[in-house]
Amino acid sequence: MTSRAALRRLPLNAAATVTVALCLFPVYWMVATAFKPSRDIQSENPQLLPRSWTLDHFRRAIDADGFGLFWRNSVLVTLGAVALALLVALGASFAVARMRWRGRRQFMLMVFVAQMAPWESLIIPVYIISRDTGMLDRLPTLTLVYFMMTLPFTIVVLRGFIATIPAELEESAQVDGCTRLGAFRHVAFPLLAPGLMATSLFGYITAWNEFAYANFLIIKEQDHRTLPVWLSSFHNTFGTDWGATMAASTLFALPALAVFLLLQRHVTSGFAAGAVKG
Amino acid sequence: MSVVRERTTPRALTRPPRRPPGPHRRPTMSGAWPYLLVAPAVLGMLYLLVYPLARAVLISFQDFGLRQLILGDAHFTGFDNYTTLLSDPRFWTVVRRTFLFMAVNVALIMVLSTLVALMVERLGRFGRTAVLSALVLTWAMPVVAATTVFQWLFHSEFGIVNHALTGLGFSSFDGYPWLAHGPAAFTILVALVVWQSVPFAAITLYSALTTVPAELYEAARIDGASGPRIFRSVTLPIVRPIFMLVLSLEVIWTFKAFVQIWVMTRGGPGDATTILPVYAVQTALAGQRYDLGAAASMVTVLLMSGVLVAYFRQMFRQENEL
Amino acid sequence: MKLRLLAGLSALVAVAGLSACSSSDSGDGGSGDGGRTRIDVWLMRDSVSAAFQKDFEKGFEAAHPDIDVRIQIQEWDGIGGKVTAALASNDAPDVIETGNTQVAQFAQSGGLQDLTDKVDDLGGKDWLKGLAEPGAYEGKQYGIPYYAANRVVVYRTDLFEKAGIDATAIKTRDQWIAATRKLNKGKQQGIYLPGQNWYTLSGFVWDEGGDLATETGGRWKGALDTPEALRAMAFYEKLQALGKGPKDSDEAQPPQAEVMAKGQVAQIVSVPGGATVVAQNNPELKGKLGFFPIPGKTAGTPGAVFTGGSDLVIPAVSQHHDAAYAFVKELTGDAWQRKLAVAMSYVPNRTTLADAVAKDPGASAMAVGAAVGHATPNTPGWAAVEAKNPIKDYMTSVLAGGDPAREAAKASDAITSAMTSGS
Repeated sequence: MTSRAALRRLPLNAAATVTVALCLFPVYWMVATAFKPSRDIQSENPQLLPRSWTLDHFRRAIDADGFGLFWRNSVLVTLGAVALALLVALGASFAVARMRWRGRRQFMLMVFVAQMAPWESLIIPVYIISRDTGMLDRLPTLTLVYFMMTLPFTIVVLRGFIATIPAELEESAQVDGCTRLGAFRHVAFPLLAPGLMATSLFGYITAWNEFAYANFLIIKEQDHRTLPVWLSSFHNTFGTDWGATMAASTLFALPALAVFLLLQRHVTSGFAAGAVKG
Repeated sequence: MSVVRERTTPRALTRPPRRPPGPHRRPTMSGAWPYLLVAPAVLGMLYLLVYPLARAVLISFQDFGLRQLILGDAHFTGFDNYTTLLSDPRFWTVVRRTFLFMAVNVALIMVLSTLVALMVERLGRFGRTAVLSALVLTWAMPVVAATTVFQWLFHSEFGIVNHALTGLGFSSFDGYPWLAHGPAAFTILVALVVWQSVPFAAITLYSALTTVPAELYEAARIDGASGPRIFRSVTLPIVRPIFMLVLSLEVIWTFKAFVQIWVMTRGGPGDATTILPVYAVQTALAGQRYDLGAAASMVTVLLMSGVLVAYFRQMFRQENEL
Repeated sequence: MKLRLLAGLSALVAVAGLSACSSSDSGDGGSGDGGRTRIDVWLMRDSVSAAFQKDFEKGFEAAHPDIDVRIQIQEWDGIGGKVTAALASNDAPDVIETGNTQVAQFAQSGGLQDLTDKVDDLGGKDWLKGLAEPGAYEGKQYGIPYYAANRVVVYRTDLFEKAGIDATAIKTRDQWIAATRKLNKGKQQGIYLPGQNWYTLSGFVWDEGGDLATETGGRWKGALDTPEALRAMAFYEKLQALGKGPKDSDEAQPPQAEVMAKGQVAQIVSVPGGATVVAQNNPELKGKLGFFPIPGKTAGTPGAVFTGGSDLVIPAVSQHHDAAYAFVKELTGDAWQRKLAVAMSYVPNRTTLADAVAKDPGASAMAVGAAVGHATPNTPGWAAVEAKNPIKDYMTSVLAGGDPAREAAKASDAITSAMTSGS
């Protein structure tokens, strides 16, 4: 019985293994490159496993001027944008998914169209506006831009998740004496964890990786640069210090994994809570 | 059992009779509340998006280059930029290529990510964490790093792909310059975009799948429904809104794919990988013609909306239903 | 509950961060403490060494006690956008280093201060043409020559010796090919020349008497399909085959100095500074690297080269034009130019200073080429060509077996249309 079950699960597990391998191979290549001595990075005989390991690239990445400062800038800008987007989106998506009001359809259409914003071309108008309002060279400008890049998406996805939570759950809580918002907070909010996870991860990754605006809007204040801009300091006239770039990129991707693992717990506990109350 | 079923399966059955009492049951929450809740979002969008967008539209009707950016003496030129753009035969080739790129990518992304999401749902705790973590790592890998790694994998002299193919006996791949051949470069970019996009789509679809109450599956199974049948009549209706959402988002995102192409090929060889956003930036950079670039972006947005009109219609219908 | 706490915390952190940032902006006005004028200067990565920068700052502030200079090192990535943003802002840096070929488009836009009346004061009659000409636009001087560098052949002295070749005797292309062929055996590559090193190809084109693009009556036209340019490409192909340079990438991908550091490459075409990078990556090669000028068609004339280098410009919106000019004058003046050339192995900005680097083998090999330096077409439209670079595509397709005449015609058309749309 158990062996048959195991056999039945074999294709599934094989598929999972293939997926993990396909996903991770380029990631692995990045990490492996970060540990390879420069001479082996692009060689005529590419090695799956580095022949010799070195921590030089990480040392160079961390020792590079201002690593800590730019790290802090990126964290502040990213967290600020994500928190702001979540807060604003939660209110808006609740209103859209749970209430009836005039203009709701127009609002959703606007949010959806906002997804299509051609950010590559908006950089010039955004620059002009920031210049005329004295907001150039300031991190809050970046926070606002990233907030707007992620907000429409956050609203759309959160609305979808709120819509899938049966309204009856809240209604029964209201019968138990909760206010409408209270019911939402205690009953629906935990169920929203997966949605919050997906959206905050998206916001985090978008804001964390953004280069063009960070390069264009932070001009004279070099201390306000963010990590992606700083990453380009490994390019020089003779090419790029790929080892250090990959080491820095690795250090870059780690927080995303950490955020995910942190939030994943909430997902499971959110479900447990939902199951008990539902 | 049947109660559970009634509650969540197709709205067609349960929703309509309930619609009339709906508004009456929630009178307290109408009025000012919803407007207060959306106000921050609306204000933010007006100032941070609509306003810059309006300025971009303005620029697309002006003669706006580096000089005008610095000195600020732009003139209106009417539809000149649009005429220049639309009469460029290269532009129309780029439009066709953009649609091809979008269609191929979206199809691959949706199929693969649905399969991955279904797979993750069936995995055990360990397998699920492993796959999800792998997806997140893929997603979190900085775009530039990912693009560079793909470039290396397919490098003519130093790439592991050519190395492996030659090792397997395909000696014609020794030193084969992938990125110098249009179709090959196009394929590699599709692979890269799909690889980067599947994690988001799969994780979102998986999250949607987990909102399907387990009792429903049990009920269906007790009723003797087959796997595909369960998928069609239990999973799909609940997941469909999110699926459509992901689909339309992927349409938008692949339509807007830029960084990968820019870093890897700059739209080359020739024009083989130039799609609309790359074209817009090329135009803006070449001689700093921000006006033409803005016009190209506006046309892109219009074309994208054209593709998504069907989805907007459906969204409106749904909003009515709710 | 925990999640809410998390969100609340991060919002708090963000708010704290934002307010901290805005308060640190107060010292931004441009004038530092004690009535000294503070000027901001942007130099490019690797344009000066840290030691030179420190020396210069100290020396400069001693000579100009009323000026507080703050040098910021900029990255090459995205620099075009960054300089654009700076020129259009209200509070630009006071001096900016830009590539010599980029001055024209910034000058055309009206973002730079016209320095024509300062040319004599700066000793302009001796400036290197390759720097001074691209720094001028419509007869006015905007860019002040800062330093030049051009490509030479960096070679392995030990491998040459083993093969019995005297590098100093290589004066013509034929001798160069013969020597390279001799060196190209077994695992050893005679020369590592990636397929898209278009600056090197440009040199060969100029040697033949051709050009990348030609102007007739104000209209620019791509000229890769002329017989001269085709002969140049044929020579490039012959040379490129004497090694394993990838046909589909340029010298930065992978960095050719790192390839040479692996030990199997006898020569690369690079600026002399490339040798330092080779030695850094493989200390065993230290002292085994030599330089010779790129050989020309005949023994009498050295090979033509592209004069790379930088000019200094003063943005029109700079608020301290006088202090900025003092800085430019100091850095481009004789004393510091000599020190800079020695410290960085550059060609100094004036022909009269060539003796400063006589003792530096790399720089003196460079100086031979610099005498016949060329520049890319001096028109704002050329930037449009480089933005997409059809020359690279052209080189790859010819090297991969395409018909040179047909590919050249295609590339010339692409250059023509880019230059027309870009100007």
